[in-house]
Amino acid sequence: MRSIQTTSAFPLSSVKPLDGLMAYRSFCLATTRKALERSRTRRTTSPVDGVTPLELLGDIDGIPYARCPSSGSIFLAELPSPSEWADVLRQVSQYRHSPKTFHADLAQSRTDHVYAPKLEWIQDALRLQGLHQPKVLEVVTSPSDFTALLQDSGLCSEVVSIEETDVAHRHVRDEHPGQADVAVLLESLDRIDDPFTLLRGLIERVKPGGLLFATGLVASGFDMATLGLRNRYLYPPDRANCFSLQGLSVLLKKAGCSLLEVSTPGVLDVEIVSTHLHHDPSLQLSQFERSVVEADEETRKAFQTFLQQQGLSSFARIVARIPS
Amino acid sequence: MTQPIRCAIFGFGYMGKIRYEALKKHPEVNKRDIWIVEPDAAQMPRDGAGQPLLKNYLAPHEPIPWKQLDAAFICTPNNVTAELCVQALQECGNVFCEKPPGRNWEDFCRIADVASAIPEHRLVFGFNHRLHPSVQAAKALIGQGGLGEILYIKGTYGKSGGLRYRESWRNNREVAGGGILLDQGIHMLDLVQFFLGPLSVADAILNDSFWHCGVEDNVFVLLRSEDGVPAFLHSSATLWKHTFRLEIGCHDGYLIASGLLSQTGSYGREQLVIGKRQFEDEAMALGNPREEIIQFDRDDSWDKEVNEFIMSVKERRPARHGTLDEARRVMQLIRDVYALSSERQGVMARRA
Repeated sequence: MRSIQTTSAFPLSSVKPLDGLMAYRSFCLATTRKALERSRTRRTTSPVDGVTPLELLGDIDGIPYARCPSSGSIFLAELPSPSEWADVLRQVSQYRHSPKTFHADLAQSRTDHVYAPKLEWIQDALRLQGLHQPKVLEVVTSPSDFTALLQDSGLCSEVVSIEETDVAHRHVRDEHPGQADVAVLLESLDRIDDPFTLLRGLIERVKPGGLLFATGLVASGFDMATLGLRNRYLYPPDRANCFSLQGLSVLLKKAGCSLLEVSTPGVLDVEIVSTHLHHDPSLQLSQFERSVVEADEETRKAFQTFLQQQGLSSFARIVARIPS
Repeated sequence: MTQPIRCAIFGFGYMGKIRYEALKKHPEVNKRDIWIVEPDAAQMPRDGAGQPLLKNYLAPHEPIPWKQLDAAFICTPNNVTAELCVQALQECGNVFCEKPPGRNWEDFCRIADVASAIPEHRLVFGFNHRLHPSVQAAKALIGQGGLGEILYIKGTYGKSGGLRYRESWRNNREVAGGGILLDQGIHMLDLVQFFLGPLSVADAILNDSFWHCGVEDNVFVLLRSEDGVPAFLHSSATLWKHTFRLEIGCHDGYLIASGLLSQTGSYGREQLVIGKRQFEDEAMALGNPREEIIQFDRDDSWDKEVNEFIMSVKERRPARHGTLDEARRVMQLIRDVYALSSERQGVMARRA
């Protein structure tokens, strides 16, 4: 198993500025709240292993979150019906692609700093695994910003996009099971209401021995561990699930995958905490946390590198092999 | 071959034990029938009562049960490598030989001559470094679609010797045949060849400046590939911090493999730095490109190496690495480096 760190550096404001995020976040919370008012079911067991009882942790603007005590993962405590959830994801995705959000203003910057490195990661991993011109299954709530990049990259023989809720809710039968070489899930596991079923559905669609690329925000990362539910980047439906790195690994293994790479190459942890502190100077932080985020640039950079190296950043990347 | 493969290990020192562990877990090997031939009984593992744990133990004077063997692993000091290789090739035809393939070019030629007279032989040499995860990853990233063609290679491989360095057979010219070049440097030569193909020696400097064992404790070799790509390596027994570092400069970026997943971990964590070339139009600071660093946590090079040999025996096919040709090219380079050094010393002596 490998892990990867990166020296890539870019400011938080170039990809997801906290000020710009707030309007989008409010829309996400309101859409989720409305859906929960129509139907709601409590999640009693952890999506990590399907067994461990969840413990109520607190709420984000009145929407309860729960914690998996064995892995430290954090989950939205209640879910609307599957069809309601699919609607929520669709509405939010459409809103994200409207001119009303910060995403539109930062389109080029997000391509450079968010999507291009992911494409490069996939390219390098394919070369390391000796996979040439694979057929790629991209798991999305459409529209996806990544699809065109994948198609234009020349990396793949074909890119097929599939709705994540269709797979997780078993709405579509795959006409050609086991035909894709690779599945790509960019933060799908963060927002899907049934991560295990989504993974099992994908495994059926990918050739035995194929690869699965997954990214996500993890609760074990520095900014998540420091801020917890106070983290403004944690909200439904985008972060209905915030697995810990351990939880994500357990989930993938339980689905039958073997892990080839588990990395946390995030570059923004320290800046995210620092930005929260800037917005709210009364934010309760330990002396250690405060001294890290208020340190000089060299110290902050060294600490961020340490987080990457030790699997303690909140942005996780995993490459897994589909069971043979 | 349908039956499990029956093996003997000649020499049960550091390398013999590593091979034994790899063979024990190989599905095609008869685990209860691995013979160990070792002159030093103290090397053999024993239980709490002092009884040998391995039943198939032979001292060198005891007859070797060649008829019961399909393959031999030669893990001995260099001075007996050629003799045992030749005998094993003639008796069972399937031989795995640790590096170096003999003390010198003459030893190697003895092995190669016998091998060429046995058409159905399998002869593999232990150059496991090319199977290390950082090296395999580097290989995958070079060339079309990756970092482009290689511009140069620089390699450093060194150890610190230690209090018993002078006592080791590895530094005794009579037994080993050479110094740090033949001991560790041979791995670096094999790696450069792995990336660049056949090489020639452009220049070399050997030194015995600290240990004074009568063999080189430092060697600097300048090499050139058939396409003119330069390579430089430094192999040392005076690197007080154990070091393995292989830098590969390419058209579109660079790779730095460093550290080795070894039993002691003394070479540091094995990793591969991947840097992509970025000029001012792509990066904020010229000369400080974005790097990705892959950290590896498992070395399966020993298992892969043994597996390739065992499967080549099983499937009666040539091995894909550690071949006689690869060993020949490395031994030619070592021969040329030593010849160049001797020639220089002769000139210096005449001048003096």
